[in-house]
Amino acid sequence: MVPDNNPKQGYKMQLRAVVALLAGASLSACVTSRLEHIKEAKTGILEGESIVIMAKSYHLGNETEEKFIECVGNTIARGRGGLRVIPNQEFVDALFPWFEPRTAPADTKGLPALMSRPGVAEVIKEKGVRYLIWLDGDTDKTAGGGSMSCAIGPGGGGCFGFAWWQNESAYEATVWDLDGLADAGTVSAEVSGTSFLPAIIIPVPLIARTRSKACKGLAEQLKLFIVADEEI
Amino acid sequence: MPFAQALIHRQAGGPIAGRGLGNLKSKWLERISATVLVAVLCGCGGSRVTLKNPSIPKPLIAQLPMSVAARYPAEFDNFVHEEQVIGKEKWTIDLGSSNRLLFTQLFGAMFTEFMVIEEGTDARDLPIDALIEPSIDAFEFSVPNQSQTDEFAVWIRYRIKIFDSDGVQVANWPIAAYGKSQSSTFGGDAALRKAAILAMRDAAALIIMQMDKSTGISKLRSTNTRSNLAPSTAMPDSESIQTTAAEEIPDGPGQ
Repeated sequence: MVPDNNPKQGYKMQLRAVVALLAGASLSACVTSRLEHIKEAKTGILEGESIVIMAKSYHLGNETEEKFIECVGNTIARGRGGLRVIPNQEFVDALFPWFEPRTAPADTKGLPALMSRPGVAEVIKEKGVRYLIWLDGDTDKTAGGGSMSCAIGPGGGGCFGFAWWQNESAYEATVWDLDGLADAGTVSAEVSGTSFLPAIIIPVPLIARTRSKACKGLAEQLKLFIVADEEI
Repeated sequence: MPFAQALIHRQAGGPIAGRGLGNLKSKWLERISATVLVAVLCGCGGSRVTLKNPSIPKPLIAQLPMSVAARYPAEFDNFVHEEQVIGKEKWTIDLGSSNRLLFTQLFGAMFTEFMVIEEGTDARDLPIDALIEPSIDAFEFSVPNQSQTDEFAVWIRYRIKIFDSDGVQVANWPIAAYGKSQSSTFGGDAALRKAAILAMRDAAALIIMQMDKSTGISKLRSTNTRSNLAPSTAMPDSESIQTTAAEEIPDGPGQ
C-alpha cells in the first residue's frame, strides 16, 4: 500500500490536531467546587408529580441568569432518574399574577394564603407540582489581569500576550414542598476557577467553566435531595 | 453611489488590484471593509424595538361584580418612546396599541361588566358604576451601556383616574411598574422587548393586588348592580373612596 503523501491531507490532519488540542485545552482549566445541602423535612416524589424551577425575584436584588435556570431544569429532567420539570414560564402564566416578580411569595409563610386564592390550588394540583425550587445567586468575575494585543493587516494577523480572570459562581436553591406547604431545605453550590488566555499569534483559551459546573453540580444534588428519602 | 461603496471601489481599483494573489487579498479586504462599514453605519442608526400585541395571561382572580367603562387617551393607540444614550446609539421603543390591549384584557378580567368608550363619549349617559381613565405619566428605560450590567430595564409610570357614575373624580392613583431582562439571553432588541412586557405585567399585577385598596372602586357599586350580581371575593373594600394613593417606589437602575 502506498502511503498517502498528499500535502492537503497532511495539512488537514495538522489542523484537526490543533483544533482537538485547543478544544481539550479549553476544557482543562481547573475549578474548585463545594456542594452542600441542608434538609429540613422528609422528601420524595411520586410518579406524575413534577417540579418547577424559578428565580427569586429581581425586586429582591436577585440576578440569577435565565440560562442558568434553563440549564438546571434541563439537567434535572435529563438522564436516568430524571424528574418531570414544568417550564417556569408556563407555571407563572398559569398562575398569573401570583408568581410575578412583585407578587411571588417570599417565604413559605405566604403559601397558605396563596393556596386559598381562587383557582391557585386547582392549577397546582392539575399540573402535579410537588416542589417549587427557588434559585438565588449568580456568576461574577472576581479578579483578572494581564494584557493582550491583537493586530490585523493585509499579510495576516495575530495576538500576543497573556490574560487571566477568576470567576466565582455561587448559587443556592431553596426547595418548597407544596404538599406540606413547608420548606424542605436548601442546596448550595459554590464553584470558583481561573481562566487563562495565553497568545503567541493564536490565543489558546483555557476556560474555567464555573457556571456550567455549578449548574451540573446543583442539578445532580437537587435530584438526590428530592428523590432520596433520607433521615433528617 | 453611497460614500462607503465609493470608498471600497477606490481601494479595489488601486495598484494592488489585478495582480493574482494581491487581487484575491484586495477582494477579501473589500468584503471585510464593507461588512465593517455596514455594521458601523447600522450601529449609528440606532435600534428600534416594536411590541406587537403582547398579551397578559388570564388572571386567576374572582371578578368584582361591577359595571365599569374605560376611556383611553390617544397615546394608548400609538406610544413611541425614544432614548438617546449619550455618546452611544439611539434606542426607540414602539409600544403601538399594547397599552390599550393590556388594560382591556386586565379590566375585562377584573370586572363582571366592562366596556371601552371612545374619547368624547359622556360616561354619565351610560349605565355604569365607574369610569376608569388610565394614562402614561412617564416611560423610561436603561440599556447595558448605561447601567454597566448586561441588563435592559424598563420603568412605566401609569396614572389611573376613577370617576363615579356622576362623573366626579374619586381617585387619582399613580403606579410605577418595572421590568428587566438580561441581554445575554435574548439579544438586545428581544431583551428590551421582554423588559417592557415584564413592566406591563408588573403593572397588571399591581393593579390587581392594590387597585381596590388604593382607590376604593368597589364602593362605587350601585344598588342595582349589588342586587343583580353575586358578592365579590376578589379584593377587600377600602375604608375611604377619595384617594391620591402614595406611589410605590420603583427599583432603581441596575437593581
